[in-house]
Amino acid sequence: MEKKYKSAYYSHVVKIALILIIAGGLGVWARGLFLPDTMGQYGHYRGSDLEDQRNVELRNHTNESCYECHRPIRLIHKAGVHKTVSCEVCHGPYADHIKDDKYVAKMPVKRDMEIKALCLRCHNKIIRARPEESIKVVAMPQHLEEKKVDVGHNCNQCHMVHDPLLWVKAAYEMMGMEMKGDKK
Amino acid sequence: MSVAAHGETIAAVSNYIFPNDFHVHWSLMIVLYPYITGLVAGAFIVSSLYHVFHIKSLKPVARFSLLFALAFLICATWPLLNHLGHPERAMSMMLTPNPTSAMAGFGYIYSAYFIVLLLEIIFIFRPVSVALGQKATGGLKTLYSVLAIGSDNVSAKALKLDHKIIGFLAAIGIPMACFLHGYVGFIFGGIKANPLWATPLMPLIFLLSACVSGIAGIIVAYILLRKLSGKDIDVDCVQTLIKFLWGFFILDFTFEMLELFSHFYMANHHWHTLEALYSGPLYNTFWVAQVGIFSVIPFVFLMFMSLIRFKDGLLLFFAPVISVMILIQVLLMRWNVVVGGQLMSKSERGATTFHPMWLEKEGILPAIIIMVAPVVILWLIGKVLPFWMDDKGAEAA
Ligand code: HEC
Ligand code: HEC
Ligand code: HEC
Ligand code: HEC
Repeated sequence: MEKKYKSAYYSHVVKIALILIIAGGLGVWARGLFLPDTMGQYGHYRGSDLEDQRNVELRNHTNESCYECHRPIRLIHKAGVHKTVSCEVCHGPYADHIKDDKYVAKMPVKRDMEIKALCLRCHNKIIRARPEESIKVVAMPQHLEEKKVDVGHNCNQCHMVHDPLLWVKAAYEMMGMEMKGDKK
Repeated sequence: MSVAAHGETIAAVSNYIFPNDFHVHWSLMIVLYPYITGLVAGAFIVSSLYHVFHIKSLKPVARFSLLFALAFLICATWPLLNHLGHPERAMSMMLTPNPTSAMAGFGYIYSAYFIVLLLEIIFIFRPVSVALGQKATGGLKTLYSVLAIGSDNVSAKALKLDHKIIGFLAAIGIPMACFLHGYVGFIFGGIKANPLWATPLMPLIFLLSACVSGIAGIIVAYILLRKLSGKDIDVDCVQTLIKFLWGFFILDFTFEMLELFSHFYMANHHWHTLEALYSGPLYNTFWVAQVGIFSVIPFVFLMFMSLIRFKDGLLLFFAPVISVMILIQVLLMRWNVVVGGQLMSKSERGATTFHPMWLEKEGILPAIIIMVAPVVILWLIGKVLPFWMDDKGAEAA
């Protein structure tokens, strides 16, 4: 003898199927509602995001921006072998230093032996981050031993940081000698 | 020039990594994410062993493992939401599906699996929900009626239909569980820039370790919960679980070692970096902890426990202890893969170190909270649906 039930034996299965279909339909509806208008305008992203990105405040600038206020450095840096090196690599981002063309905070400056670590970030022979043609590398302390000086010397005792060959060239000239592979 | 002659330059180089590699971006949260999805997939496999492959002795844990899987699945997204920030944007992934992005696939893969798991639970517990609903009052009554999908029909005909559907859901659930977790492994295995991750074995290893952790999790939870509530434990069930644990662990451990061995044997140009990584920053967490302590010891014990019939008391002592060790092994494996892969420079020069902090956004405390949450959720689920067959109301099934 069967007990009497209020619902048909398959009713829950039908209900679940309906729920899934409705949920799917709601999903499609929600997609239409929430999808940004410019989605897919150029590719798989919100087209208006380009506008947003354009309005993001720049943190880094070019060396030209620094030159506007730092004339003395400009004269040295622009003429030297480091002319292609960005000021911000060695100091810090423009935005932390200048806001609306006004000085707002000190720019970090490396001092003493920090300078050595800074130079070796790019010029370390062992790391050889780039081919020798693009960046000359030295090994320490051999570089100093070759120059016959105390190995405790710091790089900026011989190399002007903003134009590393400025003093070196001057010294060669004073002695009437030609530097090997002189680039001028 | 001898190496010693370089002196200072070498000192500047050791631990040198390029600045963009300095930070370990995928930290504890990304360790937990595959760990939790792994527990889910593994627990689901346990239930399928009963529901699909008819391993009768697993009956006592077959339903519990589904609820266990659900509790963890609910929390599987939490580490990701915390890691990425902006949880309010999570739905964008569903609104703008991107077929070419493996990571973006998560939304649909996860949701599909969630639906299947939830449906299976609803169908399996429907007679229970109906029975409990008749006794319940107020809000609980409404909840049971929702769980029973508003139907009170538990006639033989209805149950037969349910049974068919359960079999079907469990059957498609297996490939889906495998896919969900294999996919998590693929996320890592597909990153060709990282020699520690980029191997087609990665999905397989993730999947096997998922099964292992899920089974171990069920063993620990089963024995612990039964002991705490003073109910007796089905030794036969534990013995079977241990056998499966051993079986999956053989495969898991072998493939983990094979993966390393093939790197070593092929010795391609990445090997010197990997070697430096395994013998350097990962030495303790990989060789000592993951392999030495938490793989070899459980491996031997599991072998004996599977081959020799231990006395009940002894089995019920060792089973949870070894299972906890296995759970730690899998956590370590996730750590060594996820964090380990980021400790080396992508330039393959030098390695960095990583120490998790307690109070960071993605620190140890948030990690603990995220791991405790599924346990709390499981406890809440237990208030509504009975874990065990001998619980009140469950006999209706
Ligand atoms: C190779 C790294 C490097 C680059 C590139 C570089 N600087 Fe410097 N700069 C330094 C170091 C190091 C010092 C500190 C020198 C010292 O103390 O002897 C310094 C000092 C200065 C100072 C003087 C600050 C003080 O208190 O002594 C100014 C101003 C300055 N730099 C501006 C610039 C500007 C502008 C540029 C780009 C045109 C630039 N720097 C590019 C490394 C660099
Ligand atoms: C709007 C003008 C302006 C621009 C542009 C500017 N600076 Fe300066 N900078 C200053 C002033 C003013 C000082 C303070 C000079 C002083 O105290 O003698 C200064 C000081 C410095 C110092 C010394 C440390 C300090 O903060 O006192 C460094 C280094 C420096 N600037 C680097 C840079 C670099 C690199 C850039 C480009 C990214 C740059 N500056 C762009 C105005 C400017
Ligand atoms: C961001 C990387 C970088 C840093 C940091 C850096 N340099 Fe340079 N350096 C360069 C580049 C680039 C050149 C130019 C190479 C060229 O154009 O041939 C160069 C050129 C030189 C040269 C000339 C080499 C030659 O004979 O052509 C010397 C000397 C030098 N740097 C010294 C230094 C010293 C000293 C420091 C530390 C204050 C330093 N560099 C920091 C990138 C760097
Ligand atoms: C005692 C002075 C002295 C000191 C200190 C010194 N250098 Fe030099 N360096 C020179 C001279 C001189 C040259 C010019 C090349 C030559 O004649 O060998 C040179 C050349 C270089 C070159 C170009 C090498 C090439 O192959 O053309 C680099 C790069 C360089 N130095 C980096 C450094 C760095 C980095 C430091 C600090 C760690 C440093 N130097 C310290 C004197 C010095």
